[in-house]
Amino acid sequence: MPPRRTGNDYMDVDSDSDVSILDEFEQTTKAKAKGKGKAIDRSKPSKGKSKAKEQPYAWEASYTRSWDTVREDETGSLQGAVQDLIARGRRRRLLAPAAAIRRSIIRHLVLVLDLSTSMMDRDMRPTRFDLMLQYAREFVTEWFDQNPLGQIGVVGMRGGVGERIGEMSGNPQDVLKCISERHKLEPSGDPSLQNAIEMARSSMSHLPTHSSRELVIIFGSLTSCDPGNIHDTLEECVKDRIRISIVALAAEMKICRELCDKTGGMFGVAMNEGHFKDLLFELIPPPAQRALARTGGGGVSNPAADLMMMGFPTRLPNTSPPSLCVCHSQLKSEGFLCPRCLAKVCDVPTDCDICGLMIVSSPHLARSYHHLFPVKPYQPVTSLEETPYADSKCHACAAPFPSNPTQVPGTATEGMSLLGRYRCPDCHHVFCTDCDVFIHDVVHCCPGCGK
Amino acid sequence: MAAANPDEHGDVNSEASPHALLTFLQSQSQNTLSRLYQKPSSCLSIFRLLGPLDRQLVMNLLWLDSAIPASTMNAWVTREGRKPYEASLGILSRLHILPSSPVKLALNPTFKTSLRQAITGGGTSGSFGVPAGNDDKHTTPSVEKLDAYALERWETILHYMVSSGSGRYPAKPSQGVLLLLQRSGLMTSPHGAALQITSSGFQFLLYSPHTQLWELLLQYLHMAEERQMDLVEVLSFLFMLSTMELGREYSTEHLSGTQTAMLEDLRDYGIIWQRKASSRRFNPTRLATTLTSSAPPLPTTSGSGGTTQSQGFIVLETNYRIYAYTDNPLQIAILNLFITLKSRFPNLVVGAITRESVKKALANGITADQIISYLTTHAHPQMRRNKPLLPVTVQDQIRLWELEKNRVKSQEGYLYTAFASQADYEYVLDYAKKLDVVLWESAARRCFFGSLEGHANIRGFIERRTAGNV
Amino acid sequence: MDKPSHLSVVVDLSPSQWHLCGQSSNSHPLPLSAFLSQLLAFLNAHIACNDENTLSVYGALPGKSILLYSSATAVPEEFTGPADPNTYRPFEVLDSTMMNSISDRVEALTDLEQEPPIGLVGALTKSLCYINRMSNASSTSTAAGGVQGPVVLPDPRILVVSVSPDESSSYIPIMNSIFSAQKLKVTIDVCKLYGPESVFLQQAAHLTGGSYIYLERPDALLQYLTMAFLPPPAVRQLLSVPTQDKVDFRAACFCHKNIVDIGFVCSVCLSIFCQPVPVCSTCRTKFPIKTLQRLNASKPAAPAPRTPAPTPPATSLPRSQSIGTPRSSMGNGLVAPSPSRNGTSLPPR
Repeated sequence: MPPRRTGNDYMDVDSDSDVSILDEFEQTTKAKAKGKGKAIDRSKPSKGKSKAKEQPYAWEASYTRSWDTVREDETGSLQGAVQDLIARGRRRRLLAPAAAIRRSIIRHLVLVLDLSTSMMDRDMRPTRFDLMLQYAREFVTEWFDQNPLGQIGVVGMRGGVGERIGEMSGNPQDVLKCISERHKLEPSGDPSLQNAIEMARSSMSHLPTHSSRELVIIFGSLTSCDPGNIHDTLEECVKDRIRISIVALAAEMKICRELCDKTGGMFGVAMNEGHFKDLLFELIPPPAQRALARTGGGGVSNPAADLMMMGFPTRLPNTSPPSLCVCHSQLKSEGFLCPRCLAKVCDVPTDCDICGLMIVSSPHLARSYHHLFPVKPYQPVTSLEETPYADSKCHACAAPFPSNPTQVPGTATEGMSLLGRYRCPDCHHVFCTDCDVFIHDVVHCCPGCGK
Repeated sequence: MAAANPDEHGDVNSEASPHALLTFLQSQSQNTLSRLYQKPSSCLSIFRLLGPLDRQLVMNLLWLDSAIPASTMNAWVTREGRKPYEASLGILSRLHILPSSPVKLALNPTFKTSLRQAITGGGTSGSFGVPAGNDDKHTTPSVEKLDAYALERWETILHYMVSSGSGRYPAKPSQGVLLLLQRSGLMTSPHGAALQITSSGFQFLLYSPHTQLWELLLQYLHMAEERQMDLVEVLSFLFMLSTMELGREYSTEHLSGTQTAMLEDLRDYGIIWQRKASSRRFNPTRLATTLTSSAPPLPTTSGSGGTTQSQGFIVLETNYRIYAYTDNPLQIAILNLFITLKSRFPNLVVGAITRESVKKALANGITADQIISYLTTHAHPQMRRNKPLLPVTVQDQIRLWELEKNRVKSQEGYLYTAFASQADYEYVLDYAKKLDVVLWESAARRCFFGSLEGHANIRGFIERRTAGNV
Repeated sequence: MDKPSHLSVVVDLSPSQWHLCGQSSNSHPLPLSAFLSQLLAFLNAHIACNDENTLSVYGALPGKSILLYSSATAVPEEFTGPADPNTYRPFEVLDSTMMNSISDRVEALTDLEQEPPIGLVGALTKSLCYINRMSNASSTSTAAGGVQGPVVLPDPRILVVSVSPDESSSYIPIMNSIFSAQKLKVTIDVCKLYGPESVFLQQAAHLTGGSYIYLERPDALLQYLTMAFLPPPAVRQLLSVPTQDKVDFRAACFCHKNIVDIGFVCSVCLSIFCQPVPVCSTCRTKFPIKTLQRLNASKPAAPAPRTPAPTPPATSLPRSQSIGTPRSSMGNGLVAPSPSRNGTSLPPR
């Protein structure tokens, strides 16, 4: 999903999910255009790469009609449907802002899982609980892929209390391990939003100012069993700049909506399995630093932003002579050398135990650079005459282009080239559909320009 | 590593063990092999038939001018590679590619020169086939035509085999093929009657085409020796064919007498194509050019269009039902060996695996593993998403049905009975138990059954005892 | 028989570097022609290993990159004539296609004073696109011609033969390529023939599980290539291949394209700078003055060359003393890193 730009000239009209973002502009628009939200959203299922679009609420469907989600064209081929998906992806990219946007990349997130009895409902298959665990695992994997320097903690809600399931950790394996054992997380009792939020808040209280703090709550219940006034907790969260995002599985609750709106998070009610996943995965890309965008210029100093000194270590192979590491005082041959004091640490990223320098390996940082320097969207080639490089082959994969324009009836052709050719605006080389998608989604580097 | 997880790619047989031809070559004399290694094309083909590790070892040594100490090479082997490495060295030395010297490692000089020449090109051996010049009268047959020809020939052979049991005889392959089938033990003619398929023939039908092809060719090689053909000539011609290009015409002029004689046989198998028997040019078919590769040697079967055929066509469900998307009579006939066919549609056959059908197959000498591996190899792409590929229940049941057959185990032995007294009986029984030869005993009837190997001792014991008493 | 594997080779064809490499003043000179003949033998050996092995070769030229050979494209017209009976046909096609396209390109090169940077990134990304297409194409529908593609392109590998030094401006594209290679499960091997060690390619090999080899004896190239880069990953588990001893995880800064080992990183967008800057040039975030002052103070005075790594420090500091804030251990006086001992901003080596 592209990041949602807010407070700006463009609004994501493509959206069908009932996610809302607090923003002056969008709030007003939403009030007018969306009205009661979901009902209208459903009437114009326009976008979405998933099952979310054509399926109604999970509890409305008596059985899964998977064959309804794909449409065949007159000849019985599915090509139209596939083309449609590609076209949508392309349009989305074209609409995405071209300039680099700010994101808070050092993220800290607490994942709050509802482990109350309401999670045993079977309106989502196999159960809400199993589905949540499955998606949570995928979420964690994908999240660490895109936010390499982030940390995740896990808190559960059951029996009226918050339960710490996993400590804040930057290692995806640790986080996955703590949510891997299903029998330890067996749902019971009522959930308590306040207790869980307080617990998550306390675990993030010590964090440095330049990191973002987020709470993602997966909430299946319609009640919350709180010891005090949850609005006080909400005030504290706003003060601590904690963003709360909630994915509700049952229905919209006033307090949930308010938690998200006041803290600048996203709120959504999952209609069905596919939509649940969409809502959850929309929380993966680093949130744009909206606080800055709102003030306009971008020249203002941001108290959250800071310059950090980091060291890039040298890795010793396991054939080097063994020596003691500073973190565990164990005799090891492999390790990383701090570039400043040459102490040996076992793993990165970490703070050097000797000189306090933050040690990261450059790949850790570089993993997020494609957000900063995205490849410019390619322009579809509509006629062969205008092509300065009338190549017969894709510049990247050397696959020959189709000679005749393929007209697929009844599909969205906006932003699609009928010739299956797309040109880079900088180097003017021409690429095929497959490579266009691959370059923008995976490589993030144009083979023609080399940047 | 192929050997480590053989389940990964259906064809278990050909992956785990060295190629059938290598076993044959290992039994040949050093002299034969040295002559064979003189041709670059033969070296290249043999090199391709080797396992991955063997190939790497050969490559490591190929460009070295002098022998290197074995310890140097040893240093590169990882701990888990120790065993495969020893095995590889064994294979290479049995093939006389590596002279068996424990200290120094170096390639057989003939092999080294030829393989180097194969890779860098040059030389005057002409071992990759001499292409025929342009023919004005006839156009070169298209690849499709060659494929159709090879397929027709090959399926004729298989179809003949599979339908021999049913009494219906479709098109008969040539006399040479029939002789080969008979000699290889795949078919037999009891008391001079018409040829009947044997149990190894049934097994043969379930092999992959590549294995089938080599099985027949190996038999051909065995027969070649009896027919006073020069084995080296035969082998190098086969290897030459395997390095030829599909769709190109080659000239027969540079072939030796033996090789010209082979043309006729190979034509019958569908390995080469000739316009007419006296033609001075020939075309290798896909069967020939894929001899040393793992590409499917047969093109997609005629009739059912598209590539789905080669990718597999069988859908097996947990309720033992089988849906086979095929209209190929040969495939239906082979399926019929172990399933009960229920209904047949233009491009679909529906059947079920039943106890009776599997029993029938087992009686024909087909094993449960062969059925399972056939189903795995020909599974529909749709099935490939399942893990495991075949429903476990069906696999287990097929294996159980096979075990049923083995329920009764026969063992030869002697029954000891008519003991005079209970004490006598127990005394002898104790002795027999000490020897661990008692298979069955019944105190009530005062008898026990001892195995064959214990008989001499027990008999001696009883005789000594009766003698002592008397 | 075993599974086939795919190999993409990226050949660095920088004329100036090859000129330097072939000079007889080197202890082991390797002219381009000798290099190409050894490379061709290696490529033939790859094809020889398995009939289904596929190959694509990319050339990185100054300012651009081209596909030199691909086993997927049809045999060009000029090779339909009579074949040489002494050479295996695929080898013949491979060798002549390669040599023709290289000589075409090398002749087309103009004699420029300033050579544009080598198109290594282009070649690398193209080979990734190629591998991506091959794996996609074979999984959906197989191409016409009756050749059945494997379900997944097995064991795709990329071999980079490099002679040019690191182009620090290509840091981000190379890193992006590495991550896409990881996603596609492509191994990147690096053979460095000449020039300084490449920090970026070291990381590429390390992160994708390939091996990085700096050739001590470029004239023994073929033996190195066969020993280290021919075996597919499965064989490498049994017969180990030489690996690099040290991986340098240094990065290039965004401001001067220097390769740095201690950098200053914007907490918003993670841009790297070689010295404290008041405003992030990427996201235009202003940094607090206090931080700047603190960092400027801690910044070492003169950029000194990185001290050659001495013996690995046998830090026998007990764990108890390093618990707490790291600064406390400095307070103990046990380890006090004096700034002058450690260089920060380094000129690229």
